[in-house]
Amino acid sequence: MNLERLIEAGEEKGFEVEQDADYGAGPIDIVWNINVHPVLPNIKFGFVVLGAEEEGGSQDTEDNQLSLRKIEEAAFRGIRSGLDKVYLVTENEEMAKSVSGKIEWLASHGSLIRLDAISLRLYPEQQESSVITPSQQRVPEGEKIKKQTEREREEKFDKYNRPQGERRDKESEQERIERELKFDENSRPKGQKKVLDD
Amino acid sequence: MGQRGENSYSEPERRAQERLQSIDTLKAPIIQLGKDMGYEVIENHDLGAGPVHIVWLFKPSSESLPDMRLGFLCLTEFSNSSINEGLARAMLNLVDKLVFVVPTETMTKEVKDAIESMPDRSILQLRKYVTVLTPSTLVSKQGIKGASKRNSAQTGGEVM
Repeated sequence: MNLERLIEAGEEKGFEVEQDADYGAGPIDIVWNINVHPVLPNIKFGFVVLGAEEEGGSQDTEDNQLSLRKIEEAAFRGIRSGLDKVYLVTENEEMAKSVSGKIEWLASHGSLIRLDAISLRLYPEQQESSVITPSQQRVPEGEKIKKQTEREREEKFDKYNRPQGERRDKESEQERIERELKFDENSRPKGQKKVLDD
Repeated sequence: MGQRGENSYSEPERRAQERLQSIDTLKAPIIQLGKDMGYEVIENHDLGAGPVHIVWLFKPSSESLPDMRLGFLCLTEFSNSSINEGLARAMLNLVDKLVFVVPTETMTKEVKDAIESMPDRSILQLRKYVTVLTPSTLVSKQGIKGASKRNSAQTGGEVM
């Protein structure tokens, strides 16, 4: 994987960039040493590439599902190396999503270590934030309202549009066809009106 | 299914078999010791982060206190990646203290040195979380009281 972009990005921002660093817990592909202020300690961001060349075969990279072992090992390699954040770099977006999901899953057990606060995923073309949003917050508010509206509409539909009991018995065939036509015409969401044949 | 002869295993399969066998050898005395001491012993404890070979579960008599888990992970050969993986499994599976069980004293030193070689400014003080020993050390020191326990026994066991 080409990590030039990460190296250039770090150098452009004025950080001290180390390549293939090893502080005793295993190799870290890239480290950004960020000097925030002379009186404050440096912040270290580490980037570890997750790929097929790691121990454990290439099956998981072929189906874009990296194993928990690789993710855990790389995250703790970074933690043991004294990094403040460990970015797990994957080949593509799909793999990155799988890594995020697994980090979220591992963090959900209530361990002393909030893995999602330390270890995040990246992929080369990434533009959006790598911060993992909890699934409860991931569903947008508008989406929830839309679902509520749909539910209400279905309740109304059940209440008024399905002939029940006596009404169904009294309804003639002609009335039934008219009612179903009206229902078909008026119950579709806006923009999805049925186009009638000539 | 018939059993395969020794020669029908490929080299990686044979190595994996040997590894599993040595893990079983390392595990056996720890399981026995845990049972003898009256703890609940769990083999392959896994909450989702991968198995921890053995866990001794301490259940305080009060229900308002949490259970404590002492985890044992067997390492058959030294590597930084197996230490990293073991630590991750233990911490993410809510193990309160971890013991790395290794086959030889030489390896004890290697693993200890690796744990203690963490940068000073690290957020984790792993030496306070991890103990490294061989099964024989654990079994042979059974019954020897620690210094603090000896003192408290001499003073009637009261906590001041």
